[in-house]
Amino acid sequence: MGTSVLCLEQGPWMHQKDYPTNFLDWESRAMGPFASNPNVRRLAQDYPVNDSASPIQPLMFNAVGGSTILWAAHFPRFTPGDFRVKSTDGVADDWPIGYQTLEPFYATNDRMMGVAGLAGDPAYPYHEPPMAPLPLGATGNIVASGFEKLGWHWWPSDSAIASRDYEGRAACINLGPCTSACSQGAKASTDITYWPVAQRKGVQLRTGCRVKEITVRADGMADGVLYYDQDGVLQEQKAEIVVLACNGIGTPRLLLNSKSPQHPDGLANSSGLVGKNLMFHPYALIRGIFDEPLNGRRGPGGCTVWSHEFYKSDPSRGFIRGYSYEGTRGAGPAQEALWGMAAGLVPWGEGHHEAYARLHGHIAGMVAITEDLPEETNTVTLDPELTDSNGVPAPKVTYTLSENSKKMLAHAVERGKEALSAAGAVETWAEPLLRPAGWHLMGTARMGTDTARSVVNEWGRAHDVKNLFIIDGSIFVTSAGVNPTSTIQALALYIADRIKQNIGNLFD
Amino acid sequence: MPNATDPLHDNAFMEAFLNLVIPPDEDRRMPGAGSLGLGAAVAAAVETDSLLGHAVVTGLRAVRDAAVARDPAGLPGLTREARLEVLEGVLAHHPAFMTGVARHLYPAYYQHPRVLEALGEPARAPFPEGFQIEPTDAALMAKLLARRK
Ligand SMILES: Cc1cc2nc3c(=O)[nH]c(=O)nc-3n(C[C@H](O)[C@H](O)[C@H](O)COP(=O)(O)OP(=O)(O)OC[C@H]3O[C@@H](n4cnc5c(N)ncnc54)[C@H](O)[C@@H]3O)c2cc1C
Repeated sequence: MGTSVLCLEQGPWMHQKDYPTNFLDWESRAMGPFASNPNVRRLAQDYPVNDSASPIQPLMFNAVGGSTILWAAHFPRFTPGDFRVKSTDGVADDWPIGYQTLEPFYATNDRMMGVAGLAGDPAYPYHEPPMAPLPLGATGNIVASGFEKLGWHWWPSDSAIASRDYEGRAACINLGPCTSACSQGAKASTDITYWPVAQRKGVQLRTGCRVKEITVRADGMADGVLYYDQDGVLQEQKAEIVVLACNGIGTPRLLLNSKSPQHPDGLANSSGLVGKNLMFHPYALIRGIFDEPLNGRRGPGGCTVWSHEFYKSDPSRGFIRGYSYEGTRGAGPAQEALWGMAAGLVPWGEGHHEAYARLHGHIAGMVAITEDLPEETNTVTLDPELTDSNGVPAPKVTYTLSENSKKMLAHAVERGKEALSAAGAVETWAEPLLRPAGWHLMGTARMGTDTARSVVNEWGRAHDVKNLFIIDGSIFVTSAGVNPTSTIQALALYIADRIKQNIGNLFD
Repeated sequence: MPNATDPLHDNAFMEAFLNLVIPPDEDRRMPGAGSLGLGAAVAAAVETDSLLGHAVVTGLRAVRDAAVARDPAGLPGLTREARLEVLEGVLAHHPAFMTGVARHLYPAYYQHPRVLEALGEPARAPFPEGFQIEPTDAALMAKLLARRK
């Protein structure tokens, strides 16, 4: 007999026909009901996040498919060294598992998500993405040419986007920024990759159901959850095992909201580390204006090339660890105008059209994704006043950018401008710390073998609650300098496998 | 008749004002934002903007009052130079005003079919036709493949 699995999701199923790029005013829709900031969207399924004490705004989407509805689908793996930061650099902690443990799960996940890329990147152990890489387009070509001229590492990005028809998904037709959701279904969002398979296997999904707290038995083990159903009625669901995948903010929020006499500081929190060690990836945006037309609004916004030139520690740079670059294209006409205004490049009035014409279709650039080191003072806590639409306490994020991150961002800006100039940019521009860039939420229920210094063990099981598992970015020990989702998903598959393998003696 | 309380819905005023923010270009290829009739769209967006909406309405009111103080016909009755003087004067005391205006005007303007056509962009939703993009540069690719692990 198989395992009976029920998933509770606070959001609804999404429909490709409703996505912004079906409409002429797609840019307005992408900034409104499809904005990546829940404090802007304010839909009933969203919960507010108090981000007043953070220079980086946390971003997410709440629906079946979660934040992958809006994500850019840039899909790097962690490198083997990313799991051993303490050993190599003397900072943070090593992970209790390594790249080799996750490798088979990375590979399964690449097949499930449908990854386009080019095998043989010297920055990585050899792996073969199932599809050929996406075309770089004019923007990717020009950024790559800058890296090439300087003799830097670069490689076409692994992208969770179909470059050909793939398992029921149609090939990418370059609609524009993937972060407004993919009307074509070429981008791998988990509602169209994993969910159809899971449902065929009998997994049940209840949408519009917001978990309020995890309940516990007298012995402190998880007993199930209390949740608000679609009509706002509080329901109880018993379970033998509870698995959390609410992301690096939603998961600590739920654990902290699950206080009981057995767990007075919140569930699984005897270490006091639930909600601590929050890591984002501080991002810098570096852009170049080119004379030649680049048509940058066309094509997946963030999936051209990456560079690991400054990925590993080099003491001469004055900071520990490093960052990757991810090539970026331009934006839609309205976004370009808004960005031009914010950057002080497009004035109102006289001179508006001339300035705008220099930008429109003439921008290429990159973001620098810097490795954020864990610090206990960067936290997710419960806000004393703010609640969601069901009255459940909402999270507050408190985050300070470290000196190490500041130095890394400054380095990334200078080197990035150098690359764009080498590529022929007539002008370069940078934002050294992007505020709306909290796409990656990590570290708030970290993994480890020392129960005093971690929340879950090396296969995602809470030290304090043996039938509670966490499978999202909360369990990251360090953040690496690349996007996290490939690793989040590989970890989730690995933990599911361990649960299955150990089902006979899971609670010993 | 100018509406005494609500500059957002004073059509003549809004047309003159928006034409100051995005004027037509010299060869008239790019239309002025006011002449495109974007006042209603901007008004609707401003009215639901809890962050900057108030600053926009306050700024607009200040522009209209300052213009009426110069000429009873208000902003539409002034020369282009005089309109600009009025606006510059108001901006000195209302720093968030123009950010709020642009936040709502730029999307309305740059998604308008006439503007898209003038920019050489197809005036259609991206889906379902999509777009072509340039292939990967073969010379770059050849260099890369030589470094393949
Ligand atoms: C705009 C954007 C761009 C991004 N681009 C990239 C990229 O290019 N590459 C990359 O690697 N990553 C990217 N990310 C990050 C990526 O989307 C996340 O890492 C990934 O989705 C995390 O998956 P998750 O399942 O852990 O969390 P999520 O995808 O956030 O899903 C959590 C789900 O839990 C639900 N939930 C939360 N709390 C409750 C509750 N109490 N009750 C019921 N349901 C609940 C939410 O509704 C949500 O659906 C991006 C994110 C955004 C927002």
